[in-house]
Amino acid sequence: MSSHAGAGAIDHHHDPSTTTGIPNKKLFMWAFLASDCMFFGVLISTHLIYRLHPPAGTPDVKEVFSLELTSFSTFILLMSSLLMALAVNAIQKGNVKTTRTTLLGTIFFGLIFLGCQVYEFNHFVHAYDVTLSNSVFGSTFYVLTGTHGCHVAIGVLWLVLMYIRTFKPVHADSGQPWLIKSTAHLLVFTVSIVLTMYVLLGYVHVAEVDGLNFGTLGSFIGSQFLVIGATLVTYGILRWFARPPAQVEFGEQNAMDVEGMGLYWHFVDIVWIVIFTVVYLLEFI
Amino acid sequence: MEATVKTDFIGKEEHPTADKRTWIFTRPTAKTGIVSWLTTVDHKRIGMLYGISALFFFLVGGFEALLIRIQLAVPNNTFLSAQLYNEMFTMHATTMIFLAVMPLSAAFFNYMMPLQIGARDVAFPRLNGFAFWVFLAGAIILNVGWFVKSGAPDIGWFGYAPLTSTAYSNQFAGDMSTDLWIIGLQILGVSSIVGSLNFIVTIINMRAPGMTMMRLPVFTWMTLFTAFLIILSFPAITIALVELMMDRNFSTNFFEVSGGGLPVLWQHLFWVFGHPEVYILILPAMGIISEILPTFSRKPLFGYPIVVFSGATIGFLGFGVWSHHMFTTGMGTIATAAFALATMAIAVPTGVKIFNWIGTLWGGHLMMRTPMLFALGFVWMFMFGGFSGIMHAAAPADAQQQDSYFVVAHFHYVLIGGSIFALLAGIHYWFPLIFGRKVSEFWGKLSFWVIFVGFNVTFFPMHFLGLNGMPRRTFTYDGNMGWNSANMVATVGALVLGVGMFIYFAVMVYTYFRGEKSGRDPWDGRTLEWSIPHPPPEHNFDVTPNVHARDAFWYEKHHQAEIAREKAEQAKQDEAHGGIHMPSQSWFPIITAAGMLTGALFFTNHIMIGAIAGLAIVFVSAWLWSLEGPGGYHLHPGQDHPDDHSKSGAKH
Amino acid sequence: MSHSDRPFTKIHRIAATLLAAILVPLLGGWTQGPQSTFDTKGPVALSQLNLFYVTLWVTGIIFVLVAGVLTYATLKFKARTSADEHAEPPAQSHGNPLIELSLIAASVLALVVIAIPTLKAIWYTHDIPEDQQHLAYEVTATGYQWWFKFDYPAEQIDGVGTLSTANELVIPAGRPVRVNLRTVDVIHSFWVPKLAGKVDMIPNRGNFLWLQADEPGYFWGQCAEFCGESHAVMRFRVIALGEEDFANWVAAQKAAARTVDAPPPGTPIGTQLVSYEPMRPNAPGWTPEFDADPLASWTQLQEPADNEDAALIARGRQHFQEKACITCHTVRGHEGVGITGPELTHFGSRSTLAAGLLENTPRNLHRWLTAPNEVKPGNLMWFGRAMPGYMVRNAETGEWEQNFTVNDEEGHALVAYLNSLK
Repeated sequence: MSSHAGAGAIDHHHDPSTTTGIPNKKLFMWAFLASDCMFFGVLISTHLIYRLHPPAGTPDVKEVFSLELTSFSTFILLMSSLLMALAVNAIQKGNVKTTRTTLLGTIFFGLIFLGCQVYEFNHFVHAYDVTLSNSVFGSTFYVLTGTHGCHVAIGVLWLVLMYIRTFKPVHADSGQPWLIKSTAHLLVFTVSIVLTMYVLLGYVHVAEVDGLNFGTLGSFIGSQFLVIGATLVTYGILRWFARPPAQVEFGEQNAMDVEGMGLYWHFVDIVWIVIFTVVYLLEFI
Repeated sequence: MEATVKTDFIGKEEHPTADKRTWIFTRPTAKTGIVSWLTTVDHKRIGMLYGISALFFFLVGGFEALLIRIQLAVPNNTFLSAQLYNEMFTMHATTMIFLAVMPLSAAFFNYMMPLQIGARDVAFPRLNGFAFWVFLAGAIILNVGWFVKSGAPDIGWFGYAPLTSTAYSNQFAGDMSTDLWIIGLQILGVSSIVGSLNFIVTIINMRAPGMTMMRLPVFTWMTLFTAFLIILSFPAITIALVELMMDRNFSTNFFEVSGGGLPVLWQHLFWVFGHPEVYILILPAMGIISEILPTFSRKPLFGYPIVVFSGATIGFLGFGVWSHHMFTTGMGTIATAAFALATMAIAVPTGVKIFNWIGTLWGGHLMMRTPMLFALGFVWMFMFGGFSGIMHAAAPADAQQQDSYFVVAHFHYVLIGGSIFALLAGIHYWFPLIFGRKVSEFWGKLSFWVIFVGFNVTFFPMHFLGLNGMPRRTFTYDGNMGWNSANMVATVGALVLGVGMFIYFAVMVYTYFRGEKSGRDPWDGRTLEWSIPHPPPEHNFDVTPNVHARDAFWYEKHHQAEIAREKAEQAKQDEAHGGIHMPSQSWFPIITAAGMLTGALFFTNHIMIGAIAGLAIVFVSAWLWSLEGPGGYHLHPGQDHPDDHSKSGAKH
Repeated sequence: MSHSDRPFTKIHRIAATLLAAILVPLLGGWTQGPQSTFDTKGPVALSQLNLFYVTLWVTGIIFVLVAGVLTYATLKFKARTSADEHAEPPAQSHGNPLIELSLIAASVLALVVIAIPTLKAIWYTHDIPEDQQHLAYEVTATGYQWWFKFDYPAEQIDGVGTLSTANELVIPAGRPVRVNLRTVDVIHSFWVPKLAGKVDMIPNRGNFLWLQADEPGYFWGQCAEFCGESHAVMRFRVIALGEEDFANWVAAQKAAARTVDAPPPGTPIGTQLVSYEPMRPNAPGWTPEFDADPLASWTQLQEPADNEDAALIARGRQHFQEKACITCHTVRGHEGVGITGPELTHFGSRSTLAAGLLENTPRNLHRWLTAPNEVKPGNLMWFGRAMPGYMVRNAETGEWEQNFTVNDEEGHALVAYLNSLK
């Protein structure tokens, strides 16, 4: 970092260059989250207003919702928040390695949550015929939870970019090789995510239709051999990208970047708790 | 002293690694020419860009207004067709609110607020540039309709559902005017929110040493309140627009009557945004007036804490009165009564400001210069607008006034007599600071009186038109309704107002090229922005100022020895930290905004590939933006040359 | 003239100017007109006007006080000479909490003066007072782009249903009337300024208002919420009748359409058909003669004209079928069965056409029928929505093409037929 920070440890709770001591990025994130609260507030209000005045043709919501699935995905999202907090903690101690693993864990749990949401949407459309356009309930529900899903997806993207950044070598600065390498890393990561989701959701579908046993697993692997193979290859490439690098630039001085991302992630998590309560749980009271 | 080390360049030393940078991340360094403007991160230049665009759209909106008045000059006129008239009043309102008054306020926020708090730039300079370019993208999208077959938006500026649904606005094949309106406003919302987040962080975190919150100039306070209002109210309209967009493009049922949607919900969502929006338009104006009146009275603002807290109260209550725009929607007695009382309550903090302005004049030495005339004109006209506002708060009386020309008169008294007068005053007031030249007093005062008379002749008769039963948004009326003479008077007034505006701007342009040099501090100013050379240098302050009192510059002028000592010491400190840190310019803000413009235009034409491509541009350039880092270089005022620019742009 | 006289004359001049500024509008009739909210004809509008006067007085008094102080301060403390401007700055005082707090308290008090009558009026204007409920007469007004339909649930016609009419709401005078407000498309607003303030007609929302005309009369009304291209010309009338007149009117309206016996086939058209000058778009459709005593003019229209041409009327009835009029308009007892356009069973007894836009004269009606889009831009008789109108949309190009026209002569026949429907 800078010559002026001297040899002393970095104080993560006070930034001497600002009037209040709060880092600019943190203050920005807090203000943004206040604004984002209003976005969700409006969407949730819209949903609740139509739940209070349900027009004719509203589906039986209790039948449609599966509390087990949603409780599971809520738990997963909560756990991802825990991992996120561990990542912030690790980077504040300068522990880049732990930061990487916890970031990966957060990404993984975030993806499980998204997978559950894709499954849920798909299930609602096919099993209960609740679509975006055939009822007000469908419109408000999908747009609200979809907007939340977009927030999670953006969070995952951010996490992936942060994860990739932890491999940036010292003094690479923004040179061409690093730019190309990080772009490739991002592309592979994206492809890997899409393939994994495809395979897992595909198998969940098969298992639902034909039952969960070795036979269906075998035939699924047989029929999706190429895709599964490609997925494994992307894992290999990702492992190669993640080989222990020389000295990296990423370190304790980036704690604020991780913390800002953490604030966002926790916020998205809290919003989900609210959605889970007022959109799902309230229906069963 | 702890405060003196609170400078913004600790820990931002650059590494000499410029040679390793790829061409993508080469920072532009031009200080003049077109590239310097396209890539600028200087808050003053961004302020100027806002100002120039806002004034351009102000003239466009004014031209639309004149066409409207010509159509209404006589009964049964055929100057404009019904369709064109509807487009005209929709775009007049949208333009004036979102493309003229808001960005003109933003221009002053950008230019003046950092100077007033003794900062060298805003907290996130590149984001600031981004906010402007996004604003321009939104403005272009809103106005594209004039040049294509489907025409400009024609649903009124508050676009009440279900008139905005495809069933009623797609009578002609491929009518995308409503889509342009939806996307344009959403993009303007992005710009406003991003800009406001930046201002909030700047005001809270970038103040000069000693500049406590209760020493902030009132204009800066109002900037802060406005920014909070924007970040908390724009989500409501953005989500409402998203829902409407989903209805139009993906057949959802948010406001779709046949699917069980409630059109009245749109009104609630719109006005939850729309009423704070009114204060977003007027609070900056109040801030400007609270700067001008003390300066030209040569004494401090009367009751500073009350003015500040009344601003906060207005902002807070502003979120609880939205339904007074909906007194005629049949809300029932309880809701109507609650919103009527809340609306009356908000008149108290507004009235308090007027009392304090008069208190400021009391016992002063009033220098009747042009900015002062506009400021006094503001106080008078805003009072009128406030009184008709109280009449609207009496809900049963409002049942006769709502959607009539009485409302038109009311909000023009508040928005022209209020916001515009204050902004025109602000331009006059700060012109010498920005350009180092002073507008001729004779021409300035002449333009004021022509504008003042023209404005009143235009809008005062409208009170009578409204009470005489003339509804707003009507392209024609019959000659037997008793509206003829008042309409003719209003049109004549509008032409006078147009002449006044012409004089005003012609004089400004003349002054820019040929005006008398003003010298430093021509008005005997009280706040920090007057302490620097006119026009200000790129780094604003040679030495970080230390603030000792509320009217910081006034204090400096009356404690010169103390301040000189302090400045010398501070200059040494600054130099010891490596000089003044300046942010590097960047291409990515404008590229990201261009991506949004491209995507949005394709989306409104239902070319999804193009829309996705636009989104991809946004994503890639935002990513590169984050990779290039904030960058920066150092200036050493007092020495001749800044650091070599080729070394600039290193990430810390 | 001595120097001391000058300020005096100056003040006089200012006062005279102010007085003129107030009087000219008043004398110039800026408060008088068919839709004036000052000239109220019923209790609801009166209550709203009285409240307006309360707000006017309170704000007026505050204005005089504040403006007086402001003017005094401006004149008293103005720097008049260059020496004034360069004098030592005045005392740098920062405010006076006592003054500020008392001013806040005073403004709160002033608002209470407004708030109390406001609350009273909110409850009074919201619904018919309890003790008059039993007198209430109920009608339902429905907004269409761009006209009003009026249903009378109290008046049932055997085998048909509710009595329905369009654009002219006839009500009993001296009785409270409850108007249910509905819409079939976008938001409209029902506003008869002399009788009551407006209430919106909002889809999926059951609004209502109440009004009362104290005396028989003829009142102008207008849609007050922007509702699309022809919002400005979406107007209507309210006609209040005495008890007996109202009963007669209801009885006449309940009857099926009046039929003028068709002449033997081959009877020539006797009337000399006038050739009308073309009218420019947006031309006025009112006459001072009608406005002189509108209620009397309206009453005259209730009786059939004595110079009817049976052959022409028969021709018109034929065109009414051929030109697709019957698919959208009802003429009860005749061929028309459509419900998407205004009911025309007793069209001839109405004083206006095209939703209160034009006085019901043969020339105006002829123009409306031959060139609807010039009278009311974008109207659905021209473009059609459920059914094609004069124009039809080409499915391939999306462009509008002519579906049918009504020529000069057909127009005359239709005018004769429609006006025979008393």
